[in-house]
Amino acid sequence: MSVAHAVRVQGLTKHFGDHAALQDFSLEVPVGQLVALVGESGSGKSTLLRHLNGLHRPTAGAVEVLGTDVGSAKGAALRSLRRRIGFVFQQFHLVGRSTCLENVLSGSLGRLKGPRPGVIGYPIAERRDALAQLERVGLADRAFQRADTLSGGQQQRVAIARALMQRPNLMLADEPVASLDPETSKQVMDVLLRCCLELNLTVLCSLHQVEMALGWCQRVVGLRDGRLVLDAAASDLRESDLRDFYSDTETRKRKADPTRTPVPAAAITAR
Amino acid sequence: MLALTPPWTKRRVLLAVTGACLAVATAASWRDLGMVPTSLLAGVSDVRNLMERMLPPRLIDGGRVLELALETFLMAFVGTALAAAVSIPLGGLAARNISPNRWTAGAARGFISACRAIPDLVFAAIFVRVLGIGVLPGVIAIALHSIGMIGKLIADAIENIDEGPRHATEAVGANRLQAFTAGVWPQILPSFVGICLYRLDINLRTSVVLGFVGAGGIGFALRDAFGGLLYPQALGIVIVIVIMIGLFELVSGRIRRALLGDAAVVLPSHGWMGLGSRRPRRKALGQGPQPTPAKGRPASGSLRPPWTRERLTAAAYLAMFLGLIVYAFGELQLSPLEVLWALPDLGRVAAKVIPSQIDAALAGQIFSAMVETIAIGFVATIIGAALSIPIALMAARNVAPAKWVYAAARYGLVVWRGIPELILAVIFVAAIGLGPMAGAFALSIYSVGFLAKLVSDSLEEVRPGPREAVMATGATRPQEMITSLLPQALPAVAGHVLYVLDINIRTSTILGLVGGGGIGFLLFNSLRVLRWEVTGAILMLIFVSVYSIERLSGWLRTQLR
Ligand SMILES: Nc1ncnc2c1ncn2[C@@H]1O[C@H](COP(=O)(O)OP(=O)(O)O)[C@@H](O)[C@H]1O
Ligand SMILES: [Mg+2]
Repeated sequence: MSVAHAVRVQGLTKHFGDHAALQDFSLEVPVGQLVALVGESGSGKSTLLRHLNGLHRPTAGAVEVLGTDVGSAKGAALRSLRRRIGFVFQQFHLVGRSTCLENVLSGSLGRLKGPRPGVIGYPIAERRDALAQLERVGLADRAFQRADTLSGGQQQRVAIARALMQRPNLMLADEPVASLDPETSKQVMDVLLRCCLELNLTVLCSLHQVEMALGWCQRVVGLRDGRLVLDAAASDLRESDLRDFYSDTETRKRKADPTRTPVPAAAITAR
Repeated sequence: MLALTPPWTKRRVLLAVTGACLAVATAASWRDLGMVPTSLLAGVSDVRNLMERMLPPRLIDGGRVLELALETFLMAFVGTALAAAVSIPLGGLAARNISPNRWTAGAARGFISACRAIPDLVFAAIFVRVLGIGVLPGVIAIALHSIGMIGKLIADAIENIDEGPRHATEAVGANRLQAFTAGVWPQILPSFVGICLYRLDINLRTSVVLGFVGAGGIGFALRDAFGGLLYPQALGIVIVIVIMIGLFELVSGRIRRALLGDAAVVLPSHGWMGLGSRRPRRKALGQGPQPTPAKGRPASGSLRPPWTRERLTAAAYLAMFLGLIVYAFGELQLSPLEVLWALPDLGRVAAKVIPSQIDAALAGQIFSAMVETIAIGFVATIIGAALSIPIALMAARNVAPAKWVYAAARYGLVVWRGIPELILAVIFVAAIGLGPMAGAFALSIYSVGFLAKLVSDSLEEVRPGPREAVMATGATRPQEMITSLLPQALPAVAGHVLYVLDINIRTSTILGLVGGGGIGFLLFNSLRVLRWEVTGAILMLIFVSVYSIERLSGWLRTQLR
C-alpha cells in the first residue's frame, strides 16, 4: 500500500498490570508533518512513542508505522523498521565511555552486518558519514572525546546525530529537552527540528514546555490519562489555549483528588 | 580534513603498551609451561576418565566426615573472628589519618601486606612443624593470613571516613581512643561486618584443604581418600564440601542482608562487590536513611535507646556470634590461653626463617620455580577469562536469553565455586600427572567460576538506557552487546580479571603441595626437611613477587576507570 501516513494508530490500549496507560487511542500522522505531543507527566506520551518503534507491545489495537504493522513485527522485520525510525530519549542514553563518533556510528548498525568493536570496526564510508552528522549538529570537533565528558545539551546533540545516522524516515523524540536548562533547550530543539525539516522527516516530539510546541510544530496533540483530548493545528492555537489545557488538567486533578472536594464522575469528562 | 581514526592520546598509548606487555607475558607463560591447545583436549579426556573411576560417589564413615566438616567450619569461624579482633587496632594503626605517626602506619601496613602475601596453607604448614598436628596451627594460620585482608580493608575504610565527627569529638577534649570509638567506629561498622562475612566465606573455602598439611578439618579425610586411591570416597567428601560451602554462601547472604540491607559493601582493593540482592530492605547496621521509629519512640525522659526491629536484629546476631564463639572453642578443645602460649613459639620460627647460606644452584632453582608459578597464574587467568565471559552472559539477569538459563547458571556457579582450587589441582594431577600443566588447568577451571560470578554481577549493573537506545536503531543483540553492553561493563570486567590474576598468582604458589607445579614444591619440601633458611628465602621471594603484582594490578585498575 502507499504510505500516505507515516503513523496510523487505531484504538490502541496499553495496560501495565491493571493500570491503563493508553486507552482507545487513535492518531494518524501524514508524511512530513511535525507533531508535538503535550500532556502532563504520566499522561502516556512515552508509552505512545515506545509503541511506535516496538519497544512496547499493544494490549489491544493496531499500530502501523511507515506501512509496517508494528504490533506483529518481530526479528528482522522489526529491526528493519527500527532502522527507519530515529528515537531521541530524554536521558540521551549515550554509551558514556565511548567516543562521540562511536556513539553516532552505532546509528548505522542496522544496515551493517555483525558486531562492530570500536570506531575502527566500521567502514570508512560510515565513519565519514558519522563525522558529517556530528558536523550537522555542530560537534565535529568533539568526535574523539568521551561522550560522558560533554555537557547535557551537547550529549543530546550527539544522540540526535546518532538518530540521523540511521537515515530515518520518521523521528520520534521523547521529551528531548526536559533535562536541559531553557537556553540549551532552545538550541537543542532548533538543531533537532532544523535537521528534520532539511531531511523532510516526519516528526513526533513529546514536550512538557508549552512554548516549545507552538514555535516549531504544525500540529499539537494533547493527552490526558492515556486518552486523546486535544488535536489542533498549531496555527489555530494560541499560547493561552495551551495554558488552559494544562491548567485545566491541573484543576481536574485537584478535583479528582478524593481528599479534596469530591466531584461526581460525570463532571470530569474530557472536553 | 578531520581524522577518521581515534587519535593516540597518552592514555591510550599507555594502556595499549601495558596490554601488549600482558599479552606477551601470557604468551611467554604459555610457552614456558609447554601448553598447546591439543594438550587442553587431552586433559579434558583424562579428567573424564578419572571422573568415571570416581562414580558412583560413596561416603564410608559418614559420621566422621560430617564431624570433620563441622570442625572445618568452626576453624574458619574462629580464625576469622581472631583476625577481626586483631585487625581493628592494627587497621587503626595502619590508617594514615588516625595513626599516631607515619612510621607506625608504614610498619602496620607492611605487616598486613606480609600476612596477605603468604598463603594460609603455607602458614599452616609452618605452624604444624612448630606446634604439632591439630586444629590450633590451622586456626592461627587462617587468622594470620586473614589479617592481611581484613586489616587492609579496615585501614582503607578508616581512611575514607567523614572526618567531621572525629574532629568534633576531639574538639570536646576526647582522647585518641575515645575519638575512635565515638567518631570512627560507628562509621566503619557496616563495612567491618561486610568485610568479615566476606572473609569468612573465603576462609571456609581455604580451610577445607588445611588438613592436607595436618592442620585439621575435612582435608584430613580427603587426603586419606586420595592417598589410598579411594576415588568414590574422595568424590563423596568433595560433594559434602560443595554442599557445605554452597549452604554457607546462602546463609551469609541472608545475614548480610539482614544486617546491612542492600547497600553494596565497597571493598576498595577488590572493586565493587554487589553483595546481596537488589530488593530494598531495612538494615540493622546501616547509616543510610533510617526509618523513623514511629512505634518504638522512647517515652519522654527515657534514657535508653528504644528496641526497634533493627536493634533487635543486630542484638540477636551479636548474641548468636558470641554463643558460636564459646561453642567453637569448646568443640575444638581450644582455650584462648593456648592461642596466646603459641605466640612465643611462633616468634622463634620468625627468627629461624631469616634466609642465609643459600648456594647458587638452589637459588637458581628457586628463581625458576617462581617464574613457573607466575606463568601458571597468567595462563590460568587468560583461560579463565576467555571461558567465563559466555557463562557470565548467561548468569546476568539482564542479558540471559531466558529466566531458566539465568537461574541454572547462577546455581551452577554456586556449586562450581564451591570446589576449592587445591582440590581441583589434586583431581587434575591424578588425571593428567604431576606438573605445572595440571596446576594451570585446575586454576583455570577455578577462575572460570570465580570470574563468571564477578563479571555477571557487573553486567547486571550496566545502565539499561544506552542499551535500549542502540536496540532502537535496529541493531541486533550481538551488535548491541559489542557496542553498548561491553563498553559499559569493560572497566569493571578488566578490573575483575586483574584481581583474579592477582589471586591466581598467590594460589599458584601452593599448587606444588599436591604436585601441581610452581614454587610450592620447594617450599613444602624445605619445611619437610626443616631447612628454615630455604623456607625464609622462598617466602621472601613470594612476598616480593606477589606484592609487586598486587601493586601493578591495583594501579592498572585505577587507570581503567
Ligand atoms: N514500564 C511500565 N510499567 C508500569 N507502568 C508504566 C510503565 N511505563 C509507564 N507506566 C505508567 O503508564 C502511565 C503513562 O506513563 P508515560 O507514558 O511514561 O507518561 P508520560 O511520558 O506522559 O509522562 C504512567 O501512569 C506510568 O506510571
Ligand atoms: Mg515520559
